[in-house]
Amino acid sequence: MTFLGMPLLRSKHTDVNDLPGGQGNIVEDESFATVSHKHLSNQQLRNNIGHATSTIRDKRSGVVAELDDWEELREAGSRAKNQVMANLPEYLEEFEANFTAAGGIIHWARDADEANAIVTELVEANAPVLETGRREVIKVKSMATQEIGLNEHLETQGIDAFETDLAELIVQLGDDKPSHILVPAIHRNRDEIRQIFMDKMPDAGELTNDPAVLAEAARRHLREKFLTTKVAVSGANFGIADTGTLGVVESEGNGRMCLTLPETLITVMGIEKLLPSFSDLEVFLQLLPRSSTGERMNPYTSFWTGKTPGDGPQNVHLVILDNGRTRALADEHGRTALNCIRCSACMNVCPVYERTGGHAYGSTYPGPIGAILSPLLTGVETEENGSLPYASSLCGACYDVCPVKINIPEILVHLRNEDVEANHSPVSSQLDTALTGASWMMGDGKRMAAAEKGLPLAHAVSGGKSMNSLPGIAGAWTSSRDIPGLPEKSFRQLWAEDEDRDEDRDENGEDET
Amino acid sequence: MTDTAREEILGRINEALGRRGGGEYVSSTSGSAPSGSPAASRADGSHSSSAAESAHPRQGAPAAGGGVVGQSADYLRTGTHSGEDLIELLVDRLVDYKANVHRVTGDPAETIVGLLEPGSAVVVPKGLDDTWLNGFTGKVSVDAPGSQLSVPELDSQAAVVTASAVSIAQTGTIVLDGSDDCGRRAITLVPDHHVCVVRVEDIVDIVPEGISRLEPSAPLTFISGPSATSDIELKRVEGVHGPRTLDVVIVDT
Repeated sequence: MTFLGMPLLRSKHTDVNDLPGGQGNIVEDESFATVSHKHLSNQQLRNNIGHATSTIRDKRSGVVAELDDWEELREAGSRAKNQVMANLPEYLEEFEANFTAAGGIIHWARDADEANAIVTELVEANAPVLETGRREVIKVKSMATQEIGLNEHLETQGIDAFETDLAELIVQLGDDKPSHILVPAIHRNRDEIRQIFMDKMPDAGELTNDPAVLAEAARRHLREKFLTTKVAVSGANFGIADTGTLGVVESEGNGRMCLTLPETLITVMGIEKLLPSFSDLEVFLQLLPRSSTGERMNPYTSFWTGKTPGDGPQNVHLVILDNGRTRALADEHGRTALNCIRCSACMNVCPVYERTGGHAYGSTYPGPIGAILSPLLTGVETEENGSLPYASSLCGACYDVCPVKINIPEILVHLRNEDVEANHSPVSSQLDTALTGASWMMGDGKRMAAAEKGLPLAHAVSGGKSMNSLPGIAGAWTSSRDIPGLPEKSFRQLWAEDEDRDEDRDENGEDET
Repeated sequence: MTDTAREEILGRINEALGRRGGGEYVSSTSGSAPSGSPAASRADGSHSSSAAESAHPRQGAPAAGGGVVGQSADYLRTGTHSGEDLIELLVDRLVDYKANVHRVTGDPAETIVGLLEPGSAVVVPKGLDDTWLNGFTGKVSVDAPGSQLSVPELDSQAAVVTASAVSIAQTGTIVLDGSDDCGRRAITLVPDHHVCVVRVEDIVDIVPEGISRLEPSAPLTFISGPSATSDIELKRVEGVHGPRTLDVVIVDT
């Protein structure tokens, strides 16, 4: 249930401003309203995204309908994540003890800079300098490393990071930015992808736009890298506290390649990714694939616990990342945003996302979840992140599909309130005056009737046409909406005339039946 | 430096949760405390105990704290399929995700060998039943601790033949657990053709039953169909980096 217009109280027990916000690719630097305008006019983008999201919506609803206990699974998922957040220090320590006992090495990073520095140091210690004078790592798709801008940082340190997920590869080769958390190249259609591959893969030869042909080209392009690179960087979908196990859910096998063949594996994981117990996977391995790619199960899921002698990397590291997550946790009305398992179902159903695309959100996290997560991680006062909670019609479709039941609309309203308090106080005097005047006028029937007498004149002046640019503060309203043309008469006037007619009829003794 | 970061992050979390002095334990649940007592029961405590649950020492603790009031979290722990229905469901789901399925009663050797290119190079884990390749005319390399195939050697294998630990019918998922007849992870990844034997007794109906049979500390690989991607216009296309052909041999002894 969303309580529109009902101001929520700010967090009481902790001033969230005490805790540092996150850094990196989670900042909208132009307001959403401004930047979305540019994307709205890109018809190709809208076609591509509309096509893709409608496909995935149908797939998702089909496989969700197969499970009679879907709502129970959502509830169990929500409770498990709430349990984690409420007891996060204990779960982190338990995870740390188990992962370390299994031979893994844990590093803690307060923010993006610290995480980037740790990974750089590990790569320098474990990846050889090649003939090019540079080092190389292979990467499996990871939102956390996208968030901290790891690839860009590594590049400045003489390290080339090769994205191996097909969509990430399309984005990287196209010198582009991800626009969706599951399918970062969702804004590209097959013809565009073909062109990118033809331009950027020297050995690809002549390709058609058949997805199977394009997938084959990616396989050939990356094969040698998988078989020879010494260091891989991954994210993690789950960290299991009671066993110290990490898991990656994927489709193509690029994840398995990165997690299995290199000598050194460096995983970057946010503090919120934990689950209490290995047995909780029985819930999450049902919720995630069905919500995400709309499959009963994704093709490959890998779990590893520290290192296993004779199987896979023997030098296993984990960087546990804060980067604003503690700040989000401190907001008791927003903290459930940390329950997100990055399935992307919310963006696939969002009418705003479908029209603007993911780039408009300026962050690694687009769509409804991004509209709450980015400002929660950084604070609404950072750059234009305060504009993100307005990127919604509050229709609630995102809440309905969320596998862990994050009440996104309610958090959006809460953050709008935060934004008004932090960024728009005092409220514009122009608006104050207008509202005070409207209150005076509408508070009395006679005054209202007097004002309405002006309608015929206003109608004549405006020609009865719709209005799309009002002056002053009203201009903010008409910048994205048209006001219908003014009527000749008000409802009250029409009603009064109708009453008169009724009285005439009654007097003439007519019976409508 | 990272030690300092550890203390600072844990301190921030305590602050965010409104804990004063660091020692206060705050739980939104009526369930378990995480550290030291991981075997606490589920908070609602209402679901019937299944064999799967009692066999699992780490039964976790999702507990009250959010969501819609009154919504039960009592999801299914056991499925309803058994016998031939269960096998049929697994076959249906495997085929749906483009695995090739073969059913055998008794000795699977003839079927397995029939799937392999005569005279080709094949890798097997050391614990594989060696009668399964009776009659194969190619070269069989046994991957074992101390005599592992190198990555280039694995890349030159035409196929890999393994057993499997558990299969989940409802999702068409086969789990490999690094045991002696499943092998280490690389051998089922690099060759382009995986022949995977599923024993009928290892088939379960739904995901919770599958999870409860697994040893968490083992390196686990869940496989549902051959390598695939949905990254181009969200259309599922089979055949990217993992084995592009998955032959599943379901054996009823």
